[in-house]
Amino acid sequence: MELCDLSAVEVRDLLLEKKVSAVEVLDACQARIDAVDGRPGTLEPGGETKEDAQRVHAFITRTPELARAQAEAVDKQIAAGEDSGPLAGIPFTVKDIFCVKDTPSTAASRILANFNAPYTATAVERLQAAGALMLGKVNLDEFTYGSSSESSAFQPSPRNPWDTTRVPGGSSGGSAASVAAGEAFLSLGTDTAGSIRQPAAFCGVVGLKPTYGRVSRYGLIAFGSSLDCPGPLARNAKDAALMLQAMAGPDPRDATAATLDVPDYLAALEKDIKGKRIGLSPDYFQITFPQADGAYSQQPVPEEMRAAVLHAADIYRALGAEIVEDVPMPNTRYGIPVYFVISRVEAASNLHRYDGVKYGYRTQQAVGELKDLYRKSRGEGFGLQPKLRILMGMYVSAAQYSEQYYRRALRVRTLIRRDFEEAFDPQGKYRLDALLTSTTPTSAFPIQDVYGDSVLMQYADQLTVPANHAGVPGISFPAGFGADGLPIGLQLLGPDYSEATLLQLTHAYEQASAGAEWRKKRPAVLEVR
Amino acid sequence: MTAYETVIGLETHIQLNTLTKIFCACKADSWEDAPNSNICPVCTGLPGVLPVLNERVVEKAVLLAEAMHAEVQPISYFDRKNYFYPDLPKGFQISQFDVPVALGGYLELPIPAAADPEGKGYVTRVRIHKLHIEEDAGKTKNDGNERQVDFNRCGVPLVEMVTEPDLRTADEAAQYLIRLRQLLRWIGISEADMEKGNLRCDANVSIRPVGATHLNEKTEIKNVNSIDSVREAIRKEVERQTREVEEGNSIKAWTLEWDQDAGVLRKMRSKETEADYRYFREPDLLPLHISEEWKTAILADFPERPLERKARFMQDYNLPEYDADILTLERALSDYFEATVKTYGGDSKKVSNWLMNDVLRMINEDHLDPAAMRLTPQYLAELLKLVDAGTINITTGKALLQQVQESGKAPMQLVEEQGLAQVSDDAAIRAVCEQIIAASPDEVAAYRGGKDSLMGWFVGQVMREMRGKADAKLAKEVLVELLK
Repeated sequence: MELCDLSAVEVRDLLLEKKVSAVEVLDACQARIDAVDGRPGTLEPGGETKEDAQRVHAFITRTPELARAQAEAVDKQIAAGEDSGPLAGIPFTVKDIFCVKDTPSTAASRILANFNAPYTATAVERLQAAGALMLGKVNLDEFTYGSSSESSAFQPSPRNPWDTTRVPGGSSGGSAASVAAGEAFLSLGTDTAGSIRQPAAFCGVVGLKPTYGRVSRYGLIAFGSSLDCPGPLARNAKDAALMLQAMAGPDPRDATAATLDVPDYLAALEKDIKGKRIGLSPDYFQITFPQADGAYSQQPVPEEMRAAVLHAADIYRALGAEIVEDVPMPNTRYGIPVYFVISRVEAASNLHRYDGVKYGYRTQQAVGELKDLYRKSRGEGFGLQPKLRILMGMYVSAAQYSEQYYRRALRVRTLIRRDFEEAFDPQGKYRLDALLTSTTPTSAFPIQDVYGDSVLMQYADQLTVPANHAGVPGISFPAGFGADGLPIGLQLLGPDYSEATLLQLTHAYEQASAGAEWRKKRPAVLEVR
Repeated sequence: MTAYETVIGLETHIQLNTLTKIFCACKADSWEDAPNSNICPVCTGLPGVLPVLNERVVEKAVLLAEAMHAEVQPISYFDRKNYFYPDLPKGFQISQFDVPVALGGYLELPIPAAADPEGKGYVTRVRIHKLHIEEDAGKTKNDGNERQVDFNRCGVPLVEMVTEPDLRTADEAAQYLIRLRQLLRWIGISEADMEKGNLRCDANVSIRPVGATHLNEKTEIKNVNSIDSVREAIRKEVERQTREVEEGNSIKAWTLEWDQDAGVLRKMRSKETEADYRYFREPDLLPLHISEEWKTAILADFPERPLERKARFMQDYNLPEYDADILTLERALSDYFEATVKTYGGDSKKVSNWLMNDVLRMINEDHLDPAAMRLTPQYLAELLKLVDAGTINITTGKALLQQVQESGKAPMQLVEEQGLAQVSDDAAIRAVCEQIIAASPDEVAAYRGGKDSLMGWFVGQVMREMRGKADAKLAKEVLVELLK
């Protein structure tokens, strides 16, 4: 166990006790990155080497000087006995979908590869103000459009630290991989359909999608503006709580940021979970696929996923929680189709600004009229995923189709929200504090296995996307390993602003399973060294 | 030959005079500022930025809605209007679409005799379809081979107000803009200067046989930036449409652009090539809730509208329509008038005369703001009372207007300092009169010989001798008596 493999809270205590310095912590992380990350993603990667195949490739941009300067400042503050902030000296990574002043903010797209942001996103600003050290920007699916991180324009794309032949999930793949591989204690990700929770599950870390609006979106390069949620990826619930604490809260620069007070997440962790009502839903034990003829085919989630959920339920029951079975969530199956429509409409519009005129990529070809400049710049600058999403988004919001697609999707979204409202209604039949599900239908899939099938890829988010439609918070936490040796993640979904409860339940599970044999397992990239 | 009538609807874009832009803290007014000097990541649409609504914009929109008798919607929504253009940095304009901030309303439009073909003048009512809030786009210009973009105007708040097709002549359209401009300045929400683009107008024009109630295909005229141009462009378009119809051609739903320099309309595009803006709710902004409390607070000081005030001036102060119209052209002037009348307490027509003849000239020549003049309504009233009381004569009174304005001193103080009070002492005047008569034997003879008109000359001599301070009425009485 090295310094960089501890939890953020443990390191923070060591720093405050002056047993280690922030520079030492930083050096440990940098050494780990040097050892396991391999080369960062680039636009012109050349051929993939044998070594590449064994590395994590979490990063697009490393910012070592920045981190070093901040670490030294933190050490000075600690030496002087000054308040250095709740995250002082904790290295973290930032999904490269956030703008950070004077650093490349690429969205993993060619079209923004040369874009240096002139301002810093609120979430990053708050983490830095809390003393956290930014190690750099980590890789993702282009514009977050994917569930494997393979669609990044910056290759090699991230790999799963537990098995580098597998994807780390996505779109916050670089975030989850960097935390899992001990490169960083924390990572700032975003979740539009599951993009924090799914890679957290695939990489065996904790990932929290807060309530929509709990963390400011200012500076987050938008995908689906009504769905996007910045949130923490961390090694455990306590670290995630610490990170969320630093980021959450109202922001005068984001009109959709909630103005509610932020509770003390850390204090909530240690509370007894006795009497909490945790629900299980048959609709989350199965995956529903649409077929070409419009009919749906259903299949149960794999048995080991189901077993992990039931085992966790047993643990909670043993801790005094009430398990409520058979909670109906009938509109879960529409989550993906609705998402296909709503997120594409918002994405197509959000991508309008990348036109080669003001910043970012501009075609090198000779252009005739203005439209030619747009067409060529966008044609060359965007990868496949943005193009597909623009096409679909334009189609379903066109005047003649909007009613049957976009507006209809909005209505179904309301039904999905209603499922949650009924399940969580304190006066209702179920009165749940949380719904327990598996995070994903499968464990991390092999690289190239699903990539190219946009529909199938999207279905990796089936169990996570309803929370985005409803705006409710969700957390994914590690719950052992499958027969393939890959992490299994479980998900807890709660009512609006119930992050404290979700963190508390996760923490309780972690405490109860602390001695489990599977907790001793280490990512493969650390073993081969 | 068929007689046609013109059907016109106007879409006006009204730049609100807020200090900052609609969604960011940049200065809104960039008049004469260098290009791209009032911009930030938000109004230039950099990746990751979000709009935050300026509440002053909503307040000004509500004031306008009230002025137009429109119904403010308790909940309205912002929508994205998606299209590509270099002056639109986000690739969409944040606007309102199906649920705008206010619906309905009307503007009473007095048409003066000069704009009435029958020469009588009349009043027509123009209904308002809707008012919505939106952000302005930037500007582009061509410079040689370069296309240059200025983002200063991006995010300047606008209200787009659309009328029903209720206007029937180019003159009515012009009158609508004149009255709208007056109203906008009256309620203080826009500078409403068409030349500066604070007030912009697109006109939808069609024709139909007189008596018909259906609407024919219309054309939209854009880029008209003065009231005269609007009148001229509509006239030309009506002529064109009439010609086309009489030649048996149909009118196509074109968008036309007014070329100010050439004074001609040019076709910009046909309806078929119009973009689908793919409107959808702006997810970055919350629905706009305007509670009764907020609305009440905004409208707490809502003023009487200009036409209402004009009517009241005619009613309460017995002013002729001509006076009432001029005195209510600007709110500050009408306030000035009324404050003067109230302090004065005398004949309001006299106040009107002094204002329109003398004070208004001072205001116009020196570009004064009636509300900030040193010649306050109180001082003007005091001055009028001095004249009424015979303390000073009218000539002195008029001369004092300028002096009060320049010095800021009360009229009475100036009268005392300069000894301007007119002499009403019978003995003093009698002495001067006797002196004048003694020195003017010829004139005395002539007067006594029947040349009554010489009386004016005698009074003038007395006034001159007494440097204008004599009570002219008294002087005349004395002279008449002495010259018997």
